[in-house]
Amino acid sequence: MKQETLARLVVLALAGVASIPLISGPHTPLLHARLAEEGGWTPDVLHAEAGEPFALRLTSDDVLHGFGVGHTDIEPVLVAPGTVTDVTLTFDQPGTYTYYCTVWCGLNHWRMRGIIVVEGETPSTAPPEPPLYVQLAIDIDAPHPADVTPAVRPDAANAPDAAVEFSFEQYAATSPAQLFAEFSRQPGLKDLTDAQRWNLVAALWAGQTSPAALVEGEAIFRQECAACHGQLGGGDGLYAEALAEAGEAAMDELAGTHDMMIQAPPDWQDPAVLLGASPALLHGKMLRGGMGTGMPMWGALYTDAQLWNVVAYLYTFQLNSP
Amino acid sequence: MNLRRKKLWMTVTLAVLAAAVILIPAPALAANPIERFVMVEASQYAFTPATLHANPGDTVTIELHSADVAHGIYVEGYGVSAEAQPGQPVAFTFVVTESGVFRLRCSITCGALHPFMLGRLTVGPNWTLARAAALAGLAVLAAPLAVRRETA
Repeated sequence: MKQETLARLVVLALAGVASIPLISGPHTPLLHARLAEEGGWTPDVLHAEAGEPFALRLTSDDVLHGFGVGHTDIEPVLVAPGTVTDVTLTFDQPGTYTYYCTVWCGLNHWRMRGIIVVEGETPSTAPPEPPLYVQLAIDIDAPHPADVTPAVRPDAANAPDAAVEFSFEQYAATSPAQLFAEFSRQPGLKDLTDAQRWNLVAALWAGQTSPAALVEGEAIFRQECAACHGQLGGGDGLYAEALAEAGEAAMDELAGTHDMMIQAPPDWQDPAVLLGASPALLHGKMLRGGMGTGMPMWGALYTDAQLWNVVAYLYTFQLNSP
Repeated sequence: MNLRRKKLWMTVTLAVLAAAVILIPAPALAANPIERFVMVEASQYAFTPATLHANPGDTVTIELHSADVAHGIYVEGYGVSAEAQPGQPVAFTFVVTESGVFRLRCSITCGALHPFMLGRLTVGPNWTLARAAALAGLAVLAAPLAVRRETA
């Protein structure tokens, strides 16, 4: 009898010791990365405190993934199977941050996202401004073909000298084709040739960006967009067809409920497609994503300034920048 | 007696020939080194083309394109590698010096069959194959010797 009591005590003591790590203090969360088809990030919601270092352990359950956090300057790290990568993040501002995969791991790579909810005192309660495309009431899902297209590729370097006031607001709200049409009616510019007016449009577009901004826009385009939109923006990226096929299969399953088709990426090598789009429209499409396609919502990952740089880079598919 | 001496001579001759085939260093082929540019497409789970060829002294540039997910290419023996994501081809250049056959491997864990994603880089003529063929020929010549000894 005495022995049995002793044995029970020993077992209880062992269980107590084993449970110490379970109840003592917060432990570093382990974030598993999996292909989106297999579940993506687990867990996909994390909680952190503003101003406090937030330790995180990362591992992959299948292939090589990457871990990046949007709207921060946190350097992306690789998440390899079989190893654990330790990172410590610090968030200055409370809010909701999106983390995402930075390595093209599969067809649904862009679906691998999760959020970090950062709690803390909010310094100001000013509601965020609605994005520009909303303010300008632009329907970003409506078709926007250009009425006029240049005969030769417009070149900012050959623009005629003309004093034209052109603000950022005008730039954002106007498509190159619209501006060209406007110039064709303006007294001082009516007498220029078509090519000269197009060159003027190209120069004004170039004036809204800088070589450094274009370099950043190009870097983002190559990393995030080229796989579907093509390296030269022709809409012929590797994943364009595969996504359309996958989307079509999904649409077949939904037949009857949604009468829509998956759209392929637009061909920006066609001037009628690109020059009919205003910068705010392109910016809005990136910001929100969707359009019944695999276009991700980039607003959660990139800041407005970064997206404007990508917009500026897109126009270089049609307009030569000096 | 005469027969046994003859046999011995033949055996010794064959052995010397075999040793020569194995040991004589390969003649250096006086080929002018050239620059080679190869576009390699990586997809799950193969390189296209899977076999690259160069001669010692050549400068080889490999441009790696990914056709589905992120892949890398690693040249065993030279220790050079590059990694390409879809839509972002990368190129790297190295000078081949050692002749032989070197394995190409994918350097990014790209999926379940990633360990089997292999290719080859052959540098110079395949002397190992030539030597093996010569040895096989000698073995064929030596075969009657062994057979006769048993029947004798």
